[in-house]
Parts: sequence; C-alpha cells; structure tokens
Amino acid sequence: MADIAKPRRFGRINLEIRDDMPMWQQSLAFLAGVAAGLAVSVLILIASGVGPGALINEFVVFIFTSPKNISAVLVQAGPLIIVGLSAGIAFKARFWNIGIEGQVIFGAIGATLVAINNIGPEFLRLPMMALFAALGGMLWIILPALLKLRLQINEIITTLLMNYIAFNFLLHLLYGPWQDPVSSFPHSQQFESFERLAPLGWQSLNMSLLIAAILVVFCFWFMVKSRFGFQLNFVHSNARMAKALGVRVAVLTLAAALLSGALSGLAGFAISAGIESRMTQSFFIGYGFSGILIAFLARNNPLGIVAVAILVATLMIAGQSLQVFYQIPFAMVQLIQAIIVICVAASEFFIRHRMRWVD
Amino acid sequence: MHRRLITWSVAGLALAASVAGASAEFVLKGDPKPAMIIFSQKNDGGWSQALDEARQKVEKELGVTIPVVENVPENATAIKPAVELFIDRGANIILGSAFGYSDAFKELAEKYPNVVFLNPAGTTNGNNLMSYYGRTYESQYLCGMAAAAASKSGKLGFVAANPFGLVNWTVNAYAMGARQINPDATVTVVFTGAWNDPVKERAAAEALAEQGIDVIGQHVDTPTPQIVAKEKGIYGTGHHRDLSEFSTASQCSSVWVWDRFLVPEIKKIVAGDWESQPYGAFLSIAQGGTDIACCGDAVSEEDKAKIMAEREAIMGGKHVFAGPLNDREGTERVAAGAVLDDGALWGMDWFVDGVISQQ
Repeated sequence: MADIAKPRRFGRINLEIRDDMPMWQQSLAFLAGVAAGLAVSVLILIASGVGPGALINEFVVFIFTSPKNISAVLVQAGPLIIVGLSAGIAFKARFWNIGIEGQVIFGAIGATLVAINNIGPEFLRLPMMALFAALGGMLWIILPALLKLRLQINEIITTLLMNYIAFNFLLHLLYGPWQDPVSSFPHSQQFESFERLAPLGWQSLNMSLLIAAILVVFCFWFMVKSRFGFQLNFVHSNARMAKALGVRVAVLTLAAALLSGALSGLAGFAISAGIESRMTQSFFIGYGFSGILIAFLARNNPLGIVAVAILVATLMIAGQSLQVFYQIPFAMVQLIQAIIVICVAASEFFIRHRMRWVD
Repeated sequence: MHRRLITWSVAGLALAASVAGASAEFVLKGDPKPAMIIFSQKNDGGWSQALDEARQKVEKELGVTIPVVENVPENATAIKPAVELFIDRGANIILGSAFGYSDAFKELAEKYPNVVFLNPAGTTNGNNLMSYYGRTYESQYLCGMAAAAASKSGKLGFVAANPFGLVNWTVNAYAMGARQINPDATVTVVFTGAWNDPVKERAAAEALAEQGIDVIGQHVDTPTPQIVAKEKGIYGTGHHRDLSEFSTASQCSSVWVWDRFLVPEIKKIVAGDWESQPYGAFLSIAQGGTDIACCGDAVSEEDKAKIMAEREAIMGGKHVFAGPLNDREGTERVAAGAVLDDGALWGMDWFVDGVISQQ
C-alpha cells in the first residue's frame, strides 16, 4: 500500500495554449524551424554522397554571398511577396481565395491589353497597365465573392475552377488574336521599352521589387494599423460576434476579396512588365499555390509574408544550384524543399503552445 | 495570309540587318563545357527524353560529361539563374529545350558573348545563339503513309496539341502522306489545347475510335493516344520518340534524332568554324533533325517499300508542300512548280483536302 501513495519521481510535459508571443520570439521560432529543416536536409545530402565540406564551402557560401545569386532570389521574391499579400488579405477575412493563379493571369491580360492596343500616352502607359492589371484581377474574383456572399457557394471551389477558365482564355488569346505577328508563335508581341519596368541599377533587380515593397507598406498599414484592419481582425477571430456587434461583415469580406484580386492582378503586371516583357503561356506557373503557402506560413502578417517569400525564393534558387552543383535528381530537391517547409510550419506549434515541465 | 507573309519577311529583314553587322564566326574560349537545361522531367517519355538521349550520345561522341538541370519552367526568373550558375562554373555551350526559353536565351546570349546557346523550338537567333527545329512535316508525311497502309476504312484520326504553324503542318502532311497510299483517306483532327494532358488525349482518342477511325496519329507529348489505340484494337502512329515502346499498336513514329545534328554542330563549335544562322537551323531528315521509326506489322512489305522510297526521295530534295497545292477551301497556297517557303510554313493556318477539323 505504501508504494502506491508514494508519487513517482518522473516528470511530465504540460502543454498550455498561449495567447500571444512577442514578435521577436516568433521570428526566433521561424528561424529555428528553418535551421531544423536545413539540418535534416544536410543529413540527406550527405547520405546521398555530397561531401559535407563541399556543401559548406561551395553551396552555403555561394547562396549567401554571390551578388548574382542574391539578386536572383530577390527577383524571384518580388511577385511571390505580392501573391503572398493577396492570399493573406483574403484569408484574414476567411475568404479562401484559391484562384490567385487565375487572377494573376487576368492581371497580365489587363496589362497586355493596354500594351498591345497602345491605350494612353507613352508616359502614362505603365500606370495604365498597372491599373488594368488590378482591374483584371478584381474582375476574376468578383464572381466567386458575390456567389459566396449572396448564395453561400463555397469560394474554394469557385475560385479554383476560375483558374482553369482563365488559363483556357489565355490560350485562346495566345493562339488567336494576340498571337505574335512577328513569329506566328503563341505568345504576345514584345512590350515596348516604355511598357517595361525600369531596372534599379544593381544586378538584374527592377522596379517590380519596389512595387512589392510599396504594396507591403500599404498592406501593413491597411491590415495592422487601419480601422479596416482592426475590423478584419475581428471578423477573422469571430465573424458572428463581429456581425452581432455591428461590423458590416459582408462589405468587409467583399472589400478584402476585391483587394486580394487586385493584388494578384498587380503580381501579373509585375511579372509581365518586369520580367517577361510579354505575355507567355507559362509566366504564372508556381505563383498561385506558392502565394497560399506563403500566407499560411506567415500567418497572414505582411512582414512575415516578406520573410517567407524570400525563404521560398531562396529554396527555388538553391534547388537549381543543388542540381547544377551535384547533379542530384529533381525529386531530391523537392524532398528537401518540402522538409524545410514542414519544419517551418511545425514551428507554429511552439508559438501557439507553451511547454512546461511538471514534476 | 499575305499580311502574315509580309510581316514575316519584314521582320526577317530587320533581324537579318541587325545581325549582319556582327556576323562573325564564333570562337570558343577554352575546352568545350556543354550543359543542358530541361523544362520538364528528362524521362518524360517524349520531347525532353529525346533531348536527354541526344545529350548522352553527344557525351559519348565527344568524351565530355554534360550536366543537366530538370524542371526549369519557361519563366525568365527560373531560366536565367540556372544558366548563369552553369556559366559561372565554366560552362560555355548551353543547350536549351523549349520555345519558352527564347527571350531569356536572347538576353543571356547578349550578356555572355563568349558562350554559345543552342535552343530547340526557339524563335531567337544571334551571333552566339541559334534556335533549331525539325521539318516534322517530312516524318509525319511518311507516318501518314504508314497509317493509310494500316487502315482498312481509310478514316484516320489525329490528336494534336494546339492549332498553329508547326502543328498544322504535321496534320496537313499526315493527310497528304495518307493520300499517297489511299486517295480517299481522311484525317479527323482533334486539338486538345495542351501539350501534355493525358486525360484530354484519352478523351479525344476514344471519341475518334468511336467514330470508326482505325488509325490514330498524334502530335502531343504523351503516348496516351497509342495506348488507347491498343485498348480499342486499332492502330496508331507516334511522335517525339518511337512509341512502340509503350504500345504495340504503334505502326510508325516521327522521332527526333537531335544527336545527328548536335554532334557535328558542337564539333564545329570546338573546331572554330561554326556560324549561327539568322533564321536558325530548320532541319530536314537529311540534316538530322527528324526521322521515322517504321513500320509495324500492320504495314505490308510492299507499302513499307513505298514509304522508304518516299523517304529517299525526300532526302534527295523532294518537298512535301510542292505546288500545285490548294487548301480545302480551294484557295491556291502553292503555285505549280513552286514549294512553300519557310515563313509560310511557320505561319500555316490552313488545311489541305482530307483534313476534317473543329475549326
């Protein structure tokens, strides 16, 4: 009987839900997630025959010190930041916009429409292209938004399906009226020099990165500082309560959805006017679902979106370097990218929970 | 058509003028170090695998290793870093794989004048950049003969990707080849709107089989139409590679033989007597771009002899699109005694008698 009453000397871990965590601790958790993912990836690479010395000397040093490489990452990150913001603002309103890809396509269609029809004087051409791109993105989200608000039709389905319609419409344009008259090949004609975003003067960076930066500042103000952002937070936490207390949830959701569409459209503008200089069949590949991933990992925080977008861009460029340097198969690259993303996603657990050792 | 021809030739003149000043022989500095960038998986069973197989043959012939990066999408943000990584590591011959690489390769070729770029299905050329493609109408013409030889009904089908020049010419040539064997043969063509979409290709091939068609040709990237042909107990003809590997229904395939072009071309580059061509290299069977793998057991020895005799004639200079040739509306496209020029081939937007299509 006596040994039953005696408590065992083992301790245990209590999980406690944590309401809030300071920003610097959250950033630390994020970095720890990246580090854990990198550690596992290094083990995998060594197991597949890449020398650890070579890995550090060439690869790590190369990724973080070569100016060409840093610029490649930033060029890649520009549109990723914009689509991340687009996803973040929609998710904040609990509007699950899976149709970013379609809105990016329609943004580029808007910009290209202005470019090939020479709408507006030359000095206003780029702003006009941006405007039409934003309108194109909004056009491609307004129908799912209204269907959700009026008829409660699930926007995950409608926005997803709108992607396919957008892609087929793009093909129709490129194999039909917008086919390049110079080569008879299925892409639009090239934009004139005044229809392209100017270079920033360092490596291959151009204005599209600056546009992304401006949009980050705007979204930060809008989502974190403004009254609209405050109400959006309310809707995100508890839409019913918000409605009961007089927040116009429907108007707010529609506004967030339209803004999300406009941002995706601007991403389409940044890609076509900043990177491709024409509309192609494949400019949008990888942006739609990356945007969702980025907003999810950054928990819809505009500054977090910048960090995660740069991480995703680094993974893309590093994945190519791994292939170039070590000729490892692409499947291995995808495995490594997935491991790092899972580790970062898992770090969220430590942000939401406190672990306490109990004797 | 005329408008198109004129823009083509005007563009051609402009292009020729812009390269004329710089047209000098390209001299490679140092030992040849080729590298290849592939836009999809290198074992895709079709287009990319044909390029990868050529890469391996070039490796053997020249005694060099040619590193490869897969899954580099047709986006400038993805193409440029991959190519620059290779160049930084000493690569001086960059082998591309896609039409969508054209613009990025043009920019890179100007930035790196000491590196030579060879890109299949590209549209851009320069002093150190050359696009190349095969005259697939020659090989598809011969496969059309094989199809008609294998067919009992004379009703042939064709699953094609997108209706533009380089696809339309395979459809027309297929029908013209078929009519060499059976003057009443027809070719019903279905455009799937995608290069690589096994689901749509299956739907198209099944619909063709249900209409009583008994041989299915193709110009898409997967072997699906051949597999459907086998399931339905009918025959087929393939594209890209010898598709009898996937289906015993395949009677003939239009195959890429890029090594026959790349090996001598790279040897010329190494020897210092290579020169780019203002319109790129547009390779016939004789020049080693395209050829046929023929014939299956449904083609009689007598018909096979006819096909091989036509192949000899084409290698000897016979043009498939020789006048007098009318389109199916009765408009004259090639005058008696003339042959279709290359500009008109790339811009081909008409069909010959015997082709039944959606549009």
